[in-house]
This record gives sequence, structure tokens and C-alpha cells, in this order.
Amino acid sequence: MKVVVNDIELDLAPGTSAIDAVFAAGDDVPYFCSQEYMSPIGACRMCLARVGSPRKDRDGNWILDEETGEPKIFWFPNLMATCTTQVTEGMVIDTRSEAVKNAQNSMVEFTLINHPLDCPVCDKGGACELQDRAYEYGDGLSRFEFDKRRSEKHHELSELITLDRERCIHCKRCVRFFEEVPGDEVLDFIERGSHTYIGTVDAGLPSNFSGNITDICPVGALLDASSRFRGRNWEYDHTRTTSMDDATGSAVIVDARTGRIERVKAALNPDVNKTWIDDGTRFGHEYVDSPDRLTRPMVRRNGELQPVTWPEAAAYVAERLKGLSGKDVGIVLRADSTLEEGVAALALAEKLGTGQVDHAPRPAGSLLPSRPATLTDLATADAIFVVGDVTEEAGILDLRIKDALKGVTPPELLPHGVPIADLRLKERMPRRAEILTVAAPYRVDLMRHAGASHLYPAGGEAELFRALTALAGGGQLTDEQRAALGADEAAARQLVDRLRSASDGVLVVGGFALARREAAEAARAFARAVGVKELLVGPMANSHGLELLGVLPSHERYAFPGMLQEAKALIVSHLDPAKDPDVAASLKERELLVVHDMFLTETARLADVVLPARSVYEKDGTVVNLEGRFLPVRAAPVEAGQAEDFTGVVRYLGEALGERLEGRSVRSARRVLKRRLELDLAELPDNGVIPRLKARPAPKVTTREAPAAGGNVLIAPSMARVEYLHRNPHLNAAVGGPKLSVNPADAEGLGVMDGAEVRLRVGGVWRDAVVRVTEAVPAGLMTLPALPEQGVGLVQADLGSLVVDQVRLEVAS
Amino acid sequence: MIELETTTPFFQDKQEVVDEILSRYPEEGRRSALMPLLWEVQRAERYISEARMHEIAEIVGITATEVKGVLSFYSTYHEQPVGRYHIQICSTLSCALAGADEMYDHLVNELGIVNGETDAEGRFSLQKAECVGSCGTAPVLLVNDTYYERVTKSRCRHLLEALRRDEMPEPWRERGGDNEGAEKATPFGGAEGGEA
Repeated sequence: MKVVVNDIELDLAPGTSAIDAVFAAGDDVPYFCSQEYMSPIGACRMCLARVGSPRKDRDGNWILDEETGEPKIFWFPNLMATCTTQVTEGMVIDTRSEAVKNAQNSMVEFTLINHPLDCPVCDKGGACELQDRAYEYGDGLSRFEFDKRRSEKHHELSELITLDRERCIHCKRCVRFFEEVPGDEVLDFIERGSHTYIGTVDAGLPSNFSGNITDICPVGALLDASSRFRGRNWEYDHTRTTSMDDATGSAVIVDARTGRIERVKAALNPDVNKTWIDDGTRFGHEYVDSPDRLTRPMVRRNGELQPVTWPEAAAYVAERLKGLSGKDVGIVLRADSTLEEGVAALALAEKLGTGQVDHAPRPAGSLLPSRPATLTDLATADAIFVVGDVTEEAGILDLRIKDALKGVTPPELLPHGVPIADLRLKERMPRRAEILTVAAPYRVDLMRHAGASHLYPAGGEAELFRALTALAGGGQLTDEQRAALGADEAAARQLVDRLRSASDGVLVVGGFALARREAAEAARAFARAVGVKELLVGPMANSHGLELLGVLPSHERYAFPGMLQEAKALIVSHLDPAKDPDVAASLKERELLVVHDMFLTETARLADVVLPARSVYEKDGTVVNLEGRFLPVRAAPVEAGQAEDFTGVVRYLGEALGERLEGRSVRSARRVLKRRLELDLAELPDNGVIPRLKARPAPKVTTREAPAAGGNVLIAPSMARVEYLHRNPHLNAAVGGPKLSVNPADAEGLGVMDGAEVRLRVGGVWRDAVVRVTEAVPAGLMTLPALPEQGVGLVQADLGSLVVDQVRLEVAS
Repeated sequence: MIELETTTPFFQDKQEVVDEILSRYPEEGRRSALMPLLWEVQRAERYISEARMHEIAEIVGITATEVKGVLSFYSTYHEQPVGRYHIQICSTLSCALAGADEMYDHLVNELGIVNGETDAEGRFSLQKAECVGSCGTAPVLLVNDTYYERVTKSRCRHLLEALRRDEMPEPWRERGGDNEGAEKATPFGGAEGGEA
């Protein structure tokens, strides 16, 4: 479609908006209310332009200009908001004439009438759309002599977000965000005219995605409470990297200043997270700056851990290893270690000659799907079946599923990037809830958006999938199978039919089903039976990658946590198995315990050698997300003392052992990966690639699985990482601590009230939690968030061990 | 948190009212029932409490925040209890020319409350309103939904006396538009018209 923008002729796809035509021509037009991936509404009136188009006469011929003989341009009588105007054949857009300039000037003046002039103390200063646009398109003068609107300057919308009501320019981005993206209308305009303000009647912002509104606010009205007044925008070092918070590999920008992470913002990756991240990813970084971080290696001498240098610590370890056979050494990484760290661990294991190498948490089922779906497949699916709690597990999945419910395919990228105004998107679009079915052992958030839900008995994932597969095979169900469905048989039949007749069906398998191999295999069999693609949600950022790389034990016995008993010497990275007192007792009997961690954990307290570890924000490396997408991780300039990642550990240990091991640095590990995967990870683009790998993935060790054991507590995924929650004060306040969700009937039986702080032993591990009494969990089942050492699944809690802290009642006098 | 006050749902025993209101709109336009439902509550309780917002949100399938967004947009819905006699004074041009400001001052003096307030007794509340569509008979005030037109000082006094006795006087009928003759408009602050 031919369009002319300020004398530049363009060929654009039908349906493009006029504002995108202007940007596609390399020109600029100011705007505040439009936002990538959200509906254009024409609210701010900043993007006005003079627009005209040729007309056809009754015979279908262009009406020609008598003088030039060219099609005559009929101009719209008024200036048009380009964000809500669709281009037509031959349209002419003019953004440079006096009339347009006057209009822009006037709109800037109007928008600034009630906007305070507190840019010098505003966190947005220097990165503010209003500031930039006022500078570019305003004339710098105000004729408004009256008092400005006065309003609340520090309104806490939630523990995470502070609203300055004076600065708000009513662009409606935040209001639309909640309705359009996560689909929960949390915020709205209250009052009218110049009294209008953003508000909610809810307590806080009940959404896992609330932080995104601080990214899209064009002014300094909505601010990230954790970074407020921490620095000016031009002082930050911006590092574009990949989040290691969950398995989706969302693109983020880490802003650091003077060696401290001040905030994490969402970055654009059109194929993964678009421009959104969940609150766990955004606000879960404060632990990195915790004052109790380990900064120097330590060696136990005379029963005390004493600071030493890295070579001293490595020499000590090498000396102690001499007396042991290499195969008696166990090495375990946490599942958010990079591929390069995985290579390092494998190189060290090979040098020592041990098969006792693993990563944790690692689900029993494999994470490498046979018919893999991408996130784009998910967002364009016409039938989706989710088993699990993806909103907590990997928030971006939740948002991409909601994209699919809208039925709008991801937009084609234009020369300037994502369309600023995608005219297919509308406010309050109808959602195709019927294409989504969600199954979980308790009521999960996504069920509110689903056409059908299955509440199956906890631990019954294998039975659920087998019953569904039986339905797909046209068989009759037994009573037991019917009970396993967690919904009536007609609904299940409808689900099976929908998945089978779908051309782009996707099965999303969360942690509950992957926790047991028989369930994971039943899920795979079901996907095959109905012919849908699979998306398997690993417990941590690089679960997929580390399995692909083969950071796996040579025998079932050597898997974590069995390895803790088997090995005589242990090198444990970022894991704290000693949270379980029984494990702690057995760790004391190991001949050598080396702990590589950021904090002096329970396990580190028992260690012979403690090595300071880098946080996920301080590493360079590569991570593979749940789609199999290789994504680059880059280190932000953060002060971390002498901390090293696992490649550093292997470098020093190798030197002490007298060998230059492969994987002694990120570069050396990448050379290995290049050989193995034929992929140059140093050249990886920001948005990553899904390579077609020739190398066969390492097979998972075959193990026999004990029959499903019952339990009364379901360890469930959590958006906020519980192991760091008490070091993330803002996020902790927002989520209300690690929650033990209890059905009202059970709460009465246990004698606990909502908000009570409790301590109980769950599956051996002592856990602190805050009771939340809720109907969402069925009677007889409690849920507790997962830890790296205590993965998702059903466990037995010793209710006799329950210690309840006195509940404090505050009575207003 | 301890719930000190438990509220009975307003529509608990009014299912037929809800059904009737919902039946006016197609299923996909269920949210349109918001306005009449709000009105139903306000007519009975003279304001819409937060508990009622949640209840209505539940009925029409939207969030309470959205309900508040709509009701706060309209000045005729109240979030605070108003008096039994909610007096609205038109303060747009025609009434302003005919002395609406003086009428307002007079009422402030008489009632001891200002715009947006309710008296301690809960009898009167006062609100300035924009044009109520009766310019020909300015100045105009409304007591709840009843128009009192071409208000003079003495008419105002009689009206307040009656309301204090909890009597709603019949509104005097006026033929709008005459600026001459027997029905000539008398500005509120001007010389008293003889009759009352």
C-alpha cells in the first residue's frame, strides 16, 4: 500500500497505522498514550498530523487534480490522531507543516498545565517521555497563570509501586495494561476532568505483573518503590541481559550504579517476553546487595572458617583431594548455572574421573520435548491445555497464553521495530476463553481466564493424563479414571476433542507433572495421542540447558540428593541441603565439603572450604530457556568482592591440580560448546536463537521410580524465590512472606489463623511460613513454595512439629 | 483483620430486580447493567458504599475498581452518605445570572454546611450542580429528584421550613421563558417578589 509521509514514499502493509507510517519513514511524531503491544486509543492527542487521501469517483477512477493531472488529495478537515488512523492507498501524511507544529505545541502546553515542575527531584528525569517531548515539540513558554492541581505526591499503590498523582498525565497506559495484558482490571481512572486520578479499591495491586506499569509510564508518576531516589538515569550502567529468575529467559535491563544493582527493567524480546516481566524478575534482585554476602574464600582451620586467597583455598582443596579417589567426589550445581558453568563442572568431573555430577532442582521427567513448542506457538495456539500453575512458575507463559486468548497474532516488525499502534488490538477485546483448559491440584490464578478447569487430586498427574489418553483412544473410563479427571467426563471429552481437532494445539506441562517420571511420560503419551506440541516448564532458568548439556550423574545413586550420602567429598554450588537436619548430620561425616555460595548458608557453616559465588547478575554466559532458545547472559558491573562463578572455581582448582581445564573461563567453555553444538555462543544475538542441534542430547539416567507416595503438603512453584525472600524486603512485603496456604477447615483443625507465622518440618526440611487461609486449596492439602533444595511435588509434613508464633492483634484505640 | 461490621448483600432478596435489570441488556453487554444497579442502591441507601461496589462488580462480572471508576465519574452518585434532603443548586450560566451564587450563600448561612457537606443530623446536604436543564425558570434547586424553580428568598425560606418539618412541599409550577408580566423572573438576590 503506497503512502507518502512528508514527501517520502513508502510501501506498507494494509492495516498499518499512520503513526507507524511516520516512524517507518524515519520521521518522528510525539506520542504518550500509544504503547507497543497495547491498543491505540488516541487519548493524549500528541500524535496529530495533517492527513489526506485521494478519492475515487463513482466509476472507480481516481479523482484527478486539474492542474497536475495527479490524483487529488482530499485533506481531512481536522488534524488526525495518527495512532488511530489506518493508512489507505495513496494516503499523504504531513507532520511538518505550521498547523501540525502549532497543534503539537498547544498539546504540550496543555499537558504541562497540571504537571509539576519537579524534574530535578524526579526519578524519571533524563529518561522521561514528557520531558523529551516538551523539549522537542513545546515552545518552552507557559501562559497558565493559575494554581496547578495539587494532589498526593507519594501514594503507595502497593509495596512495590509508588504513585505521584500530580505527575500523571492521564495517558491510560497503566489502566489499559492491566486490562489488556494480564487481563485483570486492577487500576482505573477515578473521578473526572482535571480531578481524575489513577486508583484502585483493592489492597495493593493483586497481580504478578504490576511492575510493568513503571516501565510504560511516560512520566515519573508510577515509580518502582525499590529504586526510588536511588540515582539519576544517566548515572546508571545499563546491561541488557537475560533474566535467570525463571525458565522463560525474559529479556531484562539491569541498571547498576556504583557497583550496586538499583533496578531491573524489562527489555524487548518479541519472541519471548515482548516487553513484559513478572514482579519476581523485576523486584527479586535486592538480595545481591545484602550486607552478609561472602566476598572472600574461607578455609576451616582449628574449627573456624578463616579468610584466605583463592589460590590458597584451591591448594587446600587439591591437597585434601589427594587422599581420595577422584570418583568419590560429588559435584552439584544449582539449575540456574550457565551452560559455561556446566561445561566447567563436567571438565572438573572428567579430570577427577567421577560420575557424581548433577544439577538441582532437577525434575524426574525429562525437559527435552519430542515435539517442542515455542512461546510464539503458544501465543498463536488455537487450543491450550495447561497442567500446573504457570503464573507462579514462569509468569511470561501466563501472558503469552492470554495473547492466544485474544486471537491476535504477534505483529510483524517494522523498520523501526514493534508497531507503536497495532490497530488490531482493542480495549476490552473479547477473549476466547474456551480454547484454554487449566488443570491443577488447587485453584490457580489462570483458571479465572480459562474456559474449563480440572481440579485433580494432588499427585494424580499421571492418572489424569492416562485417563485423558484413554478418552482420546475412544475407550470407556473406569470410575477411578473418572475421579482422576478432576472435572466431569463431558468436559474432559470436549478438551480431548478440541486438542485433537486443533491445528496448533499446545500442551503446557508444569512442575507438578514433571516431578514424577511416570506423569511426565504419561503427559508425553497424551500429547502424542492428540497431536499437540509440548512446552515443558523446568524449575529454574537453565534446567533445559543443563540437561541438554548432560550435567547428569552416571548412575541413579549419584544423583542429587543421593550423592550427599554416596560421595566422600562434595563440591556444592548455590545449594543448601543442610536445611534438613538429617542431611546436615550426614554432611558432617563427609571427608571434604566445599561450598560455593553467596551467603553463609547452613551448609556453608558445615563446610571445610567456602568459596564466594557470583550472583546471576554478575556472570557472563549462556542460558537455554524452556523453548530451547539459547540466550546470552551478561554481567552487570556489580561489586562482588572476590566472588567467582563456577568457571572461576574450576580455573583455580585446575591450577592447583596442575592442569588447565576446559571450562576454566567463559571463553574456554565456549570453545568446548562450539565444538559440541556447532554454535558460537560469543556471537549470540540479544534475542537468542533456537538452533537445530545436530548433537544428540545426553540421555538421562534411567531409574526405577518408587510408586507415588502420598503427602499432605504440596510444594508448589512460586514467582518470588523463597530462598532469597527475606533478603528482598520489597518483594517480601508485597507477596506477604513465604505462604503456607491452608483450607479454612484445616486451619481450624490446626488452630492457625490467617497471617500466623509458623515453623514446621516439611519433608525433613524446617520451613518458616506465613499462613494464608484460602478456599483455593482443597481440604486436606496445604501448599508451600518450592526451594532449590525442595522441588515441586507432594511431601509429608510433620504436623506435630508445627510451631505457631503468637499472632499479634493490633486494636486501634 | 477483624470485621467489625458485617453487611447483608443489598441484592440478596432482590433477585427479581437484578434479573429485570440484566434482562435489558444482551449477555455480552452485561456490564451495561452497572448504571441501573448503582442507581438502585443509591435510591435505597442514598450513597454507594465500598461493600456495594464489590457486590455490583460481582453481579456484572467486572472489578470493584471499575465500578468505582464509573460511579466517581458521575457527580450524581455519592460515595459518602448524603442527607435525607439532598439539595443541588444549579450553578451554570442562566441560574448564575439569576442569582444562584446568592442562593448558595443563603443556603450556606441557613444550613451551616458548604458544598459537598452533610449536616450532623443527616437531614440536609448541599451540592453545586452543573446545568439541570431548566434555564427558563432560573434559578433552580433540586431537593432529591424534585425541581424547585424560580427560587426566591422567601420561597427558599418556606421550602427549608417545610423540610425541617419533614414535609416535601409540592413544587410550584412555573411556565418558563417569560421575562415580562406577572411571571417575570426576579433574581434571587434582588427585590423580593410579593408572593411565596
